[in-house]
Amino acid sequence: MNLLRRLRHLFRRRQTEADMAEEMRFHLEQRAADFTAEGLPSADARFAAQRKFGNVASIQEQARAARGWRGLENFVLDLRLGVRALVKSPGFSLLALITLGLGIGANTAMFSLFNGTLLKPLPYPDSAQLVRVYRATAQNRDGHFSPADLLAFQRAMPGHGEVSAYAIASASLAEPGHPAEFTVAARCSANLFSLLGLRPQLGREFRPEEDTPGRGRVVLLSQRAWINRFGGKPDIIGRSVRIDGEPHEVIGVLPETFNDWRHLGTVDIFRPLAFTPEQAADRTGTYLRILVRRATGQSPAELASFVANFGARLAAGYPAVNAESSWRADSLRDRILPTAAPAMIGMMVALSGLVLLIACSNLANLLLARTMARAREFAVRAALGASRTQLLRPLLAEALLLALAGGACAVVLASWFHDFLAMRFRDNGDQVVIAFGWPVLAWAFAASLVTAVAFGLAPGLFALRLDLNQTLKSGGHGATGGPGHRRFRQFLIVGQFTVAMILLAAAGVYIRGLHELNNRRSGWESDNLITGTVLLPAGQYADAEKISAFHRLTLERLAALPGVASVSISSFTPFFNWTDVRKFFVEGRDRPQPGHEPAAAVNCVSPQYFDAVGTRVLAGRAFRERDNAASTKVYILSETTARTLFGGENPIGRRLAQTNGAGSDDLRWGEVVGVVRDVESSTSDANPVRFHLYQPMAQEPRRQFEISVRTAGVAPASLADSIRAAVASLDPDLPVRQLQPADLTIERANSGTAVGRDIISGMAVLGLALASLGIYGIIARTMAQRTGEFAIRLALGATLGNITRIVLTSGVKLACLGSVLGLLGAVGAVRVVAAGNPNMRMNSTAVLIGSTLLLVAVALLACWLPARRAGRIDAVNALRAE
Amino acid sequence: MADKSELFPGTLDMLILRVLSRGELHGWGITNKLEQLSKSALQVDEGSLYPSLYRMEDKGWIEAEWRMTENNRRAKYYSLTRAGRKQLEHEQALWDRMSAIIALVTQSV
Repeated sequence: MNLLRRLRHLFRRRQTEADMAEEMRFHLEQRAADFTAEGLPSADARFAAQRKFGNVASIQEQARAARGWRGLENFVLDLRLGVRALVKSPGFSLLALITLGLGIGANTAMFSLFNGTLLKPLPYPDSAQLVRVYRATAQNRDGHFSPADLLAFQRAMPGHGEVSAYAIASASLAEPGHPAEFTVAARCSANLFSLLGLRPQLGREFRPEEDTPGRGRVVLLSQRAWINRFGGKPDIIGRSVRIDGEPHEVIGVLPETFNDWRHLGTVDIFRPLAFTPEQAADRTGTYLRILVRRATGQSPAELASFVANFGARLAAGYPAVNAESSWRADSLRDRILPTAAPAMIGMMVALSGLVLLIACSNLANLLLARTMARAREFAVRAALGASRTQLLRPLLAEALLLALAGGACAVVLASWFHDFLAMRFRDNGDQVVIAFGWPVLAWAFAASLVTAVAFGLAPGLFALRLDLNQTLKSGGHGATGGPGHRRFRQFLIVGQFTVAMILLAAAGVYIRGLHELNNRRSGWESDNLITGTVLLPAGQYADAEKISAFHRLTLERLAALPGVASVSISSFTPFFNWTDVRKFFVEGRDRPQPGHEPAAAVNCVSPQYFDAVGTRVLAGRAFRERDNAASTKVYILSETTARTLFGGENPIGRRLAQTNGAGSDDLRWGEVVGVVRDVESSTSDANPVRFHLYQPMAQEPRRQFEISVRTAGVAPASLADSIRAAVASLDPDLPVRQLQPADLTIERANSGTAVGRDIISGMAVLGLALASLGIYGIIARTMAQRTGEFAIRLALGATLGNITRIVLTSGVKLACLGSVLGLLGAVGAVRVVAAGNPNMRMNSTAVLIGSTLLLVAVALLACWLPARRAGRIDAVNALRAE
Repeated sequence: MADKSELFPGTLDMLILRVLSRGELHGWGITNKLEQLSKSALQVDEGSLYPSLYRMEDKGWIEAEWRMTENNRRAKYYSLTRAGRKQLEHEQALWDRMSAIIALVTQSV
């Protein structure tokens, strides 16, 4: 009540004041009337009344104090004065506002990215208890598990927590009346959802008995799939949909909270794992991801050591499969983004902090200049007895106002950034959603406040140290700034260029690296090449013969299309990493311990493959139609593989054995028939496997395969429809995924990296612009302040060139110093980018040199513009003005 | 003038509350009433009444309302709230006890 009343007084001051004045006037009039009645003349009566009342002004002041919140009232007054002062100098205000808005805006935008990706908790209850288990091998630090691994782990687990597993793959989803479409699908343990702590929004979750072969034809839909593909109608439960050509009953729809893109949110359909006995015995196919909910009372360290011990036992028990593997438990929280993402996002936040720093130092400089221009005003006020706080308060109020307005600009900027991200991800078909909420707003205004206090106070402290005598004596020119201020400004320039250097270098390596990635066509040719993925469902394509028959038909149909030059199928495209990694050894050499053989990435290809994708055969021959299931096994090596394994020897005719990983008896011996050029992936993720091995698709037919079509005379994109139709004519349930020109596929695959590049480039441009604005402003003011000095120099015979050179060198020297200091930070930034994009070639030396040159050039330009004015100095007038 | 006394600090509030306990009054009326009741023996700036009034209004002991006087002038009328009545009782009791103690001490020495 009390507080409310006070606030009312505060905001209705005018009313309160009027009331008070009227009340006292009434009192005085009544008293005067009394005196008049006693016989006093009216003028004397008024005086007498006032004497009896006391000092009206002082009583009113007491009354205001009694009403409380003098400080707040004064503060409101300061703010009003501040608004007036800012409006009176619109140039300064606008510049300060833009500087601050951009700086805090960039920072807030990065914070929103950080908040939406790393800070926001996962939508599961007690998600801190959730743990992901990984199986590290020499080729893959974050490897997955085989069904046999999972079952053994589940048996050993009780007491430590609950285990669930899932495997993510693609599936074709078809409903009557619609063409089949690819969806991201998962098979999971029946307990996955109860382990996560989520219940379906509609229907039910899996029953344990549904996780058995033959009974697993039930499916849970994601909220997104339910709405987008089935119109969000509740009668979906119990309906039958065809997945990979087989009917499945829809038993439930997951809640919207499950659509978190960071974990499982991109999966549209879930089916039970339902291992067959053969699958359950599989030790080599490591495709299962294991998720654990830690038992209460089990510490993370206890679980981690249990997992590691279990992995070690397994490695000892089955060395042929697991010799080089170790198990590890990571908190799910830490693993929702790719390993390098937190460092990258951290770097972006740090870089945005640097942008803000540049903005702030510009602001400090602006405010300092403004304060110095008003030095005489401050001196007069101090001389009249204004206290320190009274001198500081209006400055702080101004800074606070700027900060509030800047914070508002920042929120607008951050929301634009948010829209930009959403648009970029949507255009690329990604499900990434970055949350934008209260934490972001809070951040924007907290950053503004800190900035206001820090950079509003700095020039204020200068005002306090003012030498009254000097300032008042120096006349109306305003202070020119002693050596302390000059050093401060020099420090600001150096700092800005240090920071700009870091920003430029980070952006530079990104731009160069991504450009190189997107245009890397290492060992193959992308002109007129269109590729797409087909996945044959295991149900109808149960054995190798059926798959091979489908392959043959596909190749025939596609080759018959008009405008097709050559056609091939392969298990991988040349521009992405091959994930089928197997162990092998060379005949006639000592065989390494089982499990310790060298690893090679294997690509199964059709005979026309090398011709279609443009990979040159360097020695021996390509595969032929005769290399089929009935003939001897044959291999083709990449040149690096051949050189590393055989050195100068001729590899053609040598024999290799692939192990199947499960034991030493089942070796697939094959003869090397050719050597082809190396190919290299065009994505930024690491590829730790050096050896590449090709084998004929006919000798190991794969259900999932890539179609590559080289066109002749027609644009590759124009063939997409006829390719799709040709495949559908063979099997209407078969969609072709990502059927598009190879160039486009690469660009889309790198679109996340491109977003990173654009963010960092944006910040670099911003930082560079702010830094050049800063140095320009400082040099321009120095020019103005040294006009007298320059006039004297000119009068004494200095040439215009001399003056220009003085001004130029004073600025450029500082910029160079800053750039060189910035090199240190730049090397660090380059390292972070390199660690986040191991397959990126960034040529950091060239970038660092280029950035330095660019910075110096910008500094030269920014100094030259004001230095030019030296030519306009009118020596006579300037000296007379002194 | 010699027979006029200054107020003990803090007692003005109590006097105002006491005056208002008989019914609502405007500032001028309170001044008059105090003068009348004390037989003009109090030496106090009339204006110093107002800060006291505002303070007590803030504390919620009294509340104010603008109304017309009999002479058709706008004036601000103050009246005691329940909290004010309680405060008056409290201060009165305090005062009574204090003066009793003082009387006791001064008479016994």
